[in-house]
Amino acid sequence: MDVPYFPINDFGPIMKGLVIGGLGIFHVFLAQFAIGGGLLMCHLQRLAQAGRLPLARRFIDDFFQYLVLVSFVMGALTGVGMWFTTIQISPRTIGVMVEEFHWLWATEWTFFCLEIASGYCFYRYGRRLNDRARLTLLATYSAAAWFSLFWINGILSWQLTPGSFMETGRVWDGFFNPSFFPSLIFRTITSMTIASLAACLVVNFVPDFTREERAEIIHKCAAFLAPMAAMPLLGIWYFLSIPADSRSWILGGSVAMTLFFSLGVACSMLIGAYALFGLLRNQLYINGATCLLLLALAFLATAGGEFVREGARKPYTIREYLYSNSLTEDEVEWLRKHGSVTNDPYPLQNRDELPTDQIRLGAKVFRKQCSICHTIDGANGLTHLTATWTTSQLRMNVSQLQRTKPFMPPFAGTPEELEALIQWIQWNNSDRPDDWPPSNDPDVLRDIRKWMDEVGTTPGIHLVHGSETSQP
Amino acid sequence: MNAPFPFGFPWPTAFYLTLYVVTFAIHVAFMHYVIAGSSYLVTVAVRNRPVDPDRRGTLLRDWMPLMLSAAITAGVAPLLFVQILYQKPYYTANLLLFNRWMAILPALIVGFYLLYLLKSPLATRRGMWLRVVITAGAFGCFFFTGWSWTENHLLSLQSNEVWAQHYAEGRTRFWTITLIPRLITWFAAAFPTLAIWLAWQIRLTADDDTENHATVIGRLALTAWIGMAISVIAGIVLLVMDPPEVRQAVLGIAGIPWMLLGIAGVAAQAIGWWQLRGVGRLCRSRLTIISAGCSASILAGAVLRELMRISRLDIAAFYPKHAAAAEVGGLVVFLFFFAVNAVIIGYCIWLVRSADQLAPTDDAPAQDEVHSA
Repeated sequence: MDVPYFPINDFGPIMKGLVIGGLGIFHVFLAQFAIGGGLLMCHLQRLAQAGRLPLARRFIDDFFQYLVLVSFVMGALTGVGMWFTTIQISPRTIGVMVEEFHWLWATEWTFFCLEIASGYCFYRYGRRLNDRARLTLLATYSAAAWFSLFWINGILSWQLTPGSFMETGRVWDGFFNPSFFPSLIFRTITSMTIASLAACLVVNFVPDFTREERAEIIHKCAAFLAPMAAMPLLGIWYFLSIPADSRSWILGGSVAMTLFFSLGVACSMLIGAYALFGLLRNQLYINGATCLLLLALAFLATAGGEFVREGARKPYTIREYLYSNSLTEDEVEWLRKHGSVTNDPYPLQNRDELPTDQIRLGAKVFRKQCSICHTIDGANGLTHLTATWTTSQLRMNVSQLQRTKPFMPPFAGTPEELEALIQWIQWNNSDRPDDWPPSNDPDVLRDIRKWMDEVGTTPGIHLVHGSETSQP
Repeated sequence: MNAPFPFGFPWPTAFYLTLYVVTFAIHVAFMHYVIAGSSYLVTVAVRNRPVDPDRRGTLLRDWMPLMLSAAITAGVAPLLFVQILYQKPYYTANLLLFNRWMAILPALIVGFYLLYLLKSPLATRRGMWLRVVITAGAFGCFFFTGWSWTENHLLSLQSNEVWAQHYAEGRTRFWTITLIPRLITWFAAAFPTLAIWLAWQIRLTADDDTENHATVIGRLALTAWIGMAISVIAGIVLLVMDPPEVRQAVLGIAGIPWMLLGIAGVAAQAIGWWQLRGVGRLCRSRLTIISAGCSASILAGAVLRELMRISRLDIAAFYPKHAAAAEVGGLVVFLFFFAVNAVIIGYCIWLVRSADQLAPTDDAPAQDEVHSA
């Protein structure tokens, strides 16, 4: 079996998921600002043309400059950055996604080109165009931006809910997957919310408007917050569309996931409450500081939502196909016989710091199987997670990892590798002494093999929920 | 490789190679403008002349952010296809260069904002040194990005043993002597492309039919000639320094037609600029010939670069992956939206160029004011 090996980098105390998650949250926030911003500008342009908000034209020109400076530069480059970062974190995941969906990604690129072209046309010539031409460019820009979301949403939601793709292998079965539409609509409303808050912020900083003019623009922009009322229902729809086990992580199965989910819900509720009662019902004026606070809450809500979306895929990175440590279900069985690092061509970078060959083997196993989600003593560090476990407890828990924690993938190596990993963890837990006795008791290895065989290579989610109920 | 590129490969490989090379060539056309243009802007800032009679500096300052945006946007397509063609070596090089490689992203962001800053009233009002710092900073960011790409490309061509050693030593830089001629080839080749871009821009934005172009033609011609000469010499040096299999690929049946196309392209540019100098004005027919020559030489360069890569990799090992990729759906949808969106982009450009639409409104500010925003 040809299991691919890539050089795996050490991010020190930072969990790799935090790196990709951090950039992802930032990028998603900017991208949604661009999408919602386009829709909002169209709305305001229409109001201007209808004579319902004559000063909208001036505001659009100001707002669009912020849109270009933020989204065209940071949004575009963090988008490319997402690709590069995913390669750093999990090259195999991005490789599979590119192989399966490259034409849809290429289609998204054509819309991205259209977004940039129409956006620059408006940015450069918008002030000198008549209303009809302005609306045409803005509509083109916002349609292109929204369709970028449409295409990317299909690919990203496929990772969590591949639907019938795994049986048919057809690209459209994967694209229009069970969570495609709830996710798309939810993100569209989020985009509108972010753009509306950003517009309220910008209007506070544009010097040429009077307070009354600002208030008028704020109240028109606040209309874009109204769809937030549908968010609870959409959230439930999305929630029901994802697999049962993923729901269980959010509802308490994983403390971190539950906390981030709660954070997202709480922030969204605060924004929604202020929008509905303050801005829409009571027509309050909103100053720059409050806007900034609400935008910060929106950022936190985005962060919570994206963290949950990423985390809900566990133990997979591509559901039912690729585990989070970039091994497939088939490979796990093969690697249990042949070893997960036997053919790994990349030596350890800190080889000389490790006292024995067994500890070195353990370090390699950690690098291959665990380092994608864990550090040794930093974020999600194994030292902290296992400090209270006895050695035999550790052996059994790792042997039956998917049973210990169902959002973990099964251990994919030989009993010797598992024992080496245990020794490496214990060596780290013991402050890394210069000497460490080898552990090669045949009875221990026999026990490990027995525990591993007991649970097999069945994913933990199937042990808990059964193979059928893991589907939505 | 017993047939002219890309015919010596199975059709899926040939198909993706063609897409890669074509999209890469489009990216290069914009990238050349940015890298050569930003270096020229440094000289403009250093000379600090109060007037810009031939408008090269003004045009570059004005158009640079858009062209950088175009270069980045156009760069996404080859980035997609390279992942299908050479997934393992490409990903491995990315991973081995690690932080050093990822640094191109903040570098591009900083460079991008510096270009906007250069257009702002702040850069105009303040002294020469601020403009020197801004332009040098932007050029440094783009040159660093180009250097990193070249480094990444060369590292992706190395053997498993070199990769393993590179990783074990924890290095995040890769050095080989061929990096120098390769970088010089690309950097110098950017100037003829910039020259023809600028020639078109000067012609299309001339407010006055009587604008004298003789001086600027002479300068642009000189820029193009020197750039082509250095690029060709560096390219020959690179070929001499590379292993024999690389020379065989470039000078063999797969590469010779493209080599000839490249020579024809360079000749068309050299002669075209000579003729333009004689004419003394930026006439459309000769500019079109030079543009065709420039496009041909960029395309030929992209193909020869690819042949050099293929000769050092076992591309046959990737054939099954290419065949599997060619089986997946979505091509028709892509072609449909590619055509539709290309038409809409054309329409947007037509819309803003249309004289009827460019009637100033009551509150429309002057163009300079718009651009400086």
